[in-house]
Amino acid sequence: MTGAAGTAPRGRRIAAVLAALAVAAAALLVLRPGGGVSGDSAEAGFARDMSTHHAQAVKMAFLVRDRSDDERVRTLTYDMIATQSAQIGMMTAWLDAWNVPHTDPRGPMRWMNGHGHGDASGTKAMPGMATPEQLRELEKADGRAAEIVFLRLMLTHHKAGVEMARAAQTRAEDEHVLRLARAMVRGQQAEIDLMQQMLTERTSPA
Amino acid sequence: MSKSTRNRAQQQRKNALTERHTPWGGIIFFTVIGLVAAVAVTFAYLSSRPPSTEIAGLVEKDGLADGHTTSPVQYDASPPMGGDHDPAWQSCDARVYDRPLRNENAVHSLEHGAVWITHRPDLHISQLAALSQRVKAVDYTMMSPYPDLDSPIVLTAWGRQLKVDDASDPRIGRFLQAFVKGPQTPEKGAPCNGGKETA
Repeated sequence: MTGAAGTAPRGRRIAAVLAALAVAAAALLVLRPGGGVSGDSAEAGFARDMSTHHAQAVKMAFLVRDRSDDERVRTLTYDMIATQSAQIGMMTAWLDAWNVPHTDPRGPMRWMNGHGHGDASGTKAMPGMATPEQLRELEKADGRAAEIVFLRLMLTHHKAGVEMARAAQTRAEDEHVLRLARAMVRGQQAEIDLMQQMLTERTSPA
Repeated sequence: MSKSTRNRAQQQRKNALTERHTPWGGIIFFTVIGLVAAVAVTFAYLSSRPPSTEIAGLVEKDGLADGHTTSPVQYDASPPMGGDHDPAWQSCDARVYDRPLRNENAVHSLEHGAVWITHRPDLHISQLAALSQRVKAVDYTMMSPYPDLDSPIVLTAWGRQLKVDDASDPRIGRFLQAFVKGPQTPEKGAPCNGGKETA
């Protein structure tokens, strides 16, 4: 049973195996202390930027809800407001638990754009976000007109949101992040299909 | 196990005792564990230090009131670092205002985790440009002129304040990193958009 290797003392071999295991275990500990995530990670960047992205979606959903009596629009936006606010809460709690900053003063989207060196070169806009002018347009509109403005803006917003969530799926490793990113892709894609249909109903001649 | 295998094992054990090998396995094993433990402890210590401890000149204030009122409030810091405030928060989603804000609305934004950057109304245009660029890149910040400021630029979060002379001061970035939605925030998760939009 011991074979040719039987000449090497067994104790030394066991010690070597134990040492290798200890190094592996310690490496895991050092790389992710307490299951943590670093402030520069894709996980943290995604949680920060998606919170900002969601916050604007919530605001736009509130705006159109105050301006429309359409039951389907009101149901859709109720769903968006409740879901995305809850998701902001989840991401906020992660950043707290990871003990990392809730902001990156160098600007947003660095986790997706491959960390440009130097400083933020100004204000890189987050994809899909409505501009202040577009928000004002929504605020001024009413009824069906407001619904159309909202659907157009939110379609762009959601498509970019799905792209961000997909990027997180390829860049992040944390299980909770992956699960939420997956849920966002699924949920927002379904809403994109619905909104596309609602927009067509409102813009194509009957 | 056959008898011969057991005999061989016994022989080996005897040899190990009589030949007095240097126990390299054990030495390496414990050395590696010791080193790894030292590195892990150092790393854990360094990464658990709160970032705010490195900001020189930081003023802290705890136990601030947080009631809602529509009446004017007498604050004991200028700009105020917290206290009772208006039910409406000032919109603080990366917002640059060109006129002074009402304290009572701005304090409500601080409660939601915003950093409020105030500056003297006559701050040089290049300084203003640098500051507003920062504000526009960071959600949960807002900026406004503030008359009679005793320093050219003042950064305020709920219960935290820092006075700086220059927009390029590296402490500005550290203050934002530490306190935008930082641990001092009384109402984490509350919004910065959807508030009072005008100065």
